Order: sequence, then C-alpha cells, then structure tokens
Amino acid sequence: MTIALSQTPPKPIGKVQRINGCNAVAQAVKLCEVDVVASYPIRPYTGIMTEIARLVNNGELKAEFLMGGGEHDQLSIALGASAAGARAFCGSSGVGVTFAGEMYAPISGGRTPLQMVVANRTLDPPGDFGSEHTEALSTRDMGWMLGWASHAQECLDNTIFAYRVGEDPRVLLPQMTAMDGYFVSHIQGDVAIPPIEAVREFLPPYRHPHPLDPAKPVSHGPQIHPERGAAMQVQRANGMEMLKLAIYEHIDAFNRIFGRNYHPFIETYMLEDAEIVYYVQGAFAETAKIAIRKLRKEGVKIGLLRPRWIRPFPEEDVADALQNAKVVGVVETNLSLGAPTNGGCLALDLCTALYHLDRRPLQLSFMAGMGGETITPQEFLWMAEVMDRVKKTGRVEKRTWWAGFDH
Amino acid sequence: MPYAYTPKLIHIPPEKDVPFGMIVPAPEVSGEQPGMITGNWRQKRPVFDPMRCTQCRSCEMLCPDACISIDEKGIVDSDMKYCKGCGVCAFECREGAIVMVPELDFEDGVVRLETVF
Repeated sequence: MTIALSQTPPKPIGKVQRINGCNAVAQAVKLCEVDVVASYPIRPYTGIMTEIARLVNNGELKAEFLMGGGEHDQLSIALGASAAGARAFCGSSGVGVTFAGEMYAPISGGRTPLQMVVANRTLDPPGDFGSEHTEALSTRDMGWMLGWASHAQECLDNTIFAYRVGEDPRVLLPQMTAMDGYFVSHIQGDVAIPPIEAVREFLPPYRHPHPLDPAKPVSHGPQIHPERGAAMQVQRANGMEMLKLAIYEHIDAFNRIFGRNYHPFIETYMLEDAEIVYYVQGAFAETAKIAIRKLRKEGVKIGLLRPRWIRPFPEEDVADALQNAKVVGVVETNLSLGAPTNGGCLALDLCTALYHLDRRPLQLSFMAGMGGETITPQEFLWMAEVMDRVKKTGRVEKRTWWAGFDH
Repeated sequence: MPYAYTPKLIHIPPEKDVPFGMIVPAPEVSGEQPGMITGNWRQKRPVFDPMRCTQCRSCEMLCPDACISIDEKGIVDSDMKYCKGCGVCAFECREGAIVMVPELDFEDGVVRLETVF
C-alpha cells in the first residue's frame, strides 16, 4: 500500500462555480440522475433539501420528490425506492439522524445501496447549530459506508463516488456521506461541476439483482430463524470488505475522469517527516493546515492525516502513513462517553489499527469542537504544544485533553 | 499506479449459505421458504366475515407477510403457514369484517410447547 500520489496538480474537469456544500450535493444528486428523493426538513440539511426541490421544480432533475412524516418515514421511503430498483437519496442532521435509527440496519441488511447525506449538527442537548460528528458516528456500526468531506468540492465528489462503489454489484451497501454542518454545508467554495457525460461514464445505471417487482414477487427482509442469521451477517461483512476493495479500485477512474487527485481513503499534509500529527476528519482539517503552516515556519515537524472514509476503516493506509510519527493527536469532534478515552470514539479505531505495529506512535485524544463549538487555530496550536510535551517525555500521562479546559 | 487490496473474505460453506441479503421469492410464488415459516408464532388468527367484506382489498395490500389472498368469488383467506397473527388486517378493516380469534379456540390451533420455532 503506497500513499504516493501523482505529482501533477489536478485539473478539475467542469465549470467552476462558487457554491456552498448544500448546493454542491444537490448538483451531484442532479448529475447522478437520482430517481427518488425522500426528505424531511431539519437544519442544516434543509439547505440541501430545498436546493434539490428547486432543481426538481425547474425540471432540471427528473426525480420523484417525497416528504415523510419524519426521518423514520423518510428513510423508509428511500429503502422502498431503492429495493424497487430506483436510485434513492435522502439526508438529515442532528436529532433527525438518530430519530431514523431503526432504519439503518435493515437498509444495509437488505443490501439496498441508497445514499444519505448528513450535514452535522449537535444532538440535543445542546442541539445548537454547531457541528459535532456524534450523530453520524452513532450509526458507524450499521454496515454503511461512512466518511466526511472537508470542503464543498469534496461533497460533490463524494456523492458521485459513493454511489459508484455502493452500487457495485459485489457490494450493494448504503452510503452515508457526511459533512460538517455550516462549516462545509453553508460556506461557499469554488466547485468544479463536471459535465453529465463524464458522470455517466463513471457511474453506470443502478441495478438491484432482486428488485421488488409485481411480475416477480420477492420478500425483502423476511423474518428468519436465528440459525440462518449468522450466514447473513457473514455476507454483509464480506460486502463491507468488497466495498473497501471497490474504493481502491474505482478511485483511479474517478481521478482520471474528473481530473482530481484523491487518495482512496486518506489525505495527508506535510506528513512525510512529521513527528507529531493531527488526526482530524472533516472541515477542521483545513483549520489544522493553517496551524501546521505556522508551526512549520517555526521548525516544528508537524503534519496532518485526514481519513476520508472511516467505514470501511483504512487500517493499512493509516498504519503506513503513521509509521514514522512519534505522537498522534486525535481531534475527536464527537462524544463517546464512558469509552476508554472517556472522550471520543475516533481514537478507538485508530488505536486498534496501530496496536499490532512494532513501532507505533503515542496517541492522545483532543476533545475539541464539543457542543458544536468552533475549533480555532489557537486550539490547534495548543494541541501541538501538548503533543510536543508528550514527544519530549515519551510518556502519555493523560490520555484525553479537553480544549479550553485542560492545559 | 493502481491501488492493490486483498479483501479478507470469510468463506460460507454451501450448506450454511443463505439467499443474498435474505431476499427470497414471495411465498405465493415459491410455496414455502424453509426456515422462514412464521405461522406457529400466532396467538390469535384472523377470521373473515364474507357478509361484511366490501372487497376493498386493504387487508391484502397491508398484510406484512403477503399471506392474504382473495379468490375469484371474492372470498378472503389467509395463509396460515405464514400468518404470524399480527392483526394488521383486522386493525385496518373499516367494515369490521376481520376478527382476531385466540388460537386455542381452534382444533388445529397453534400450541407452542416443545420448540420456540
């Protein structure tokens, strides 16, 4: 597994427009020629929903646009549509994501590769409009593809890419494409919107092998006896492994057709010689880069590792990228109370991925962005200071550090 | 250079394998799905009153197990092999033509003693 990427700067194909993450996702939904859109308003996802509604109303997107009586209905509609052979799309934020909770397992169990976009919002309490990743991460064990975009361009790209790999006949699993609420969903950036011909070249029409069809009736999700359940779960686990393979396989075609330069799973920034590393997903990776540029000028060997997809988890890539690092600081952006960190859950995955290595970095958790608070560049500088102290002593005396409360 | 990855797949021996995603032909087509028969879960069974039935077909559409069939004379019947006695049909029937009757009132009533399933 090599992390070397082509050194030529990417030339994004398509017309560049300055739009926010919500509009970028809506444009991707249009380009993917989605058949059924199930919706239910909740901020900040509402921005995506209203933009798709506008496209449907204008006739730019020929899709069935439905609204459920709540998020549980919304995902049920999307499940039914996807099981009937339609490319389905839905999405939510914050408590909407958790209200739909029952639906995640049947959607992946029935192997319906629909897509859900999540624009993060804190759960209640505080339920404010800040971005905390807890709600989307609470679904991470449900057999869905899951990952974060860090800017508007990546939102558009992830939606197209996730449909491609999720609908791969070897995979057939649903995808949750997440983005930070407000910091990505409502902040504008230059987005290259590819022509529809390019998307058609990359994304073939969706076919379910056993769709719901009155001419050939099938039962989706029938009640089964426990002794047959284990084989079903093995099938789903194999599907997740095939998803990982599909992500590696399809990224080259994606980069070539759309003129991008993505690694399938991770983004690295000044990581080659870095001794201390931020491990951060989503929008705050951009803030971390500001801190890295400042610290590099002062001679601090610091870098960044940003996972783009965490389900399936790229343990090989992460282990490969961090083999020379001395200290890794996981910027949690989520709350997993009572976990071994008594902080966030991202560190648990990373720890598992690194544990078997002969040489592995020391690992800390930084609880930042809690309750939707913005993580400032100053806080990243503070994290670097803590990591530097740990690097010098070579010992982790305190594992979890709360930004603004610990020093 | 293309990325290489060897998926860590778990082998399922043929005798243990199940249909993809447990998606199976509907009972009305296949007749039977071994290992998925739910009729012996019932505590109550639906009894249909043809005099009250208006042939609205709500019960047929809403039965979660696609058990209900309506013959050419308009007589409604439920497949007792799969009907798990949920009572959705009786709840939805506007005419009160479906009544849920305890299993023990029937000679062939479901008695669950030896095995759970």
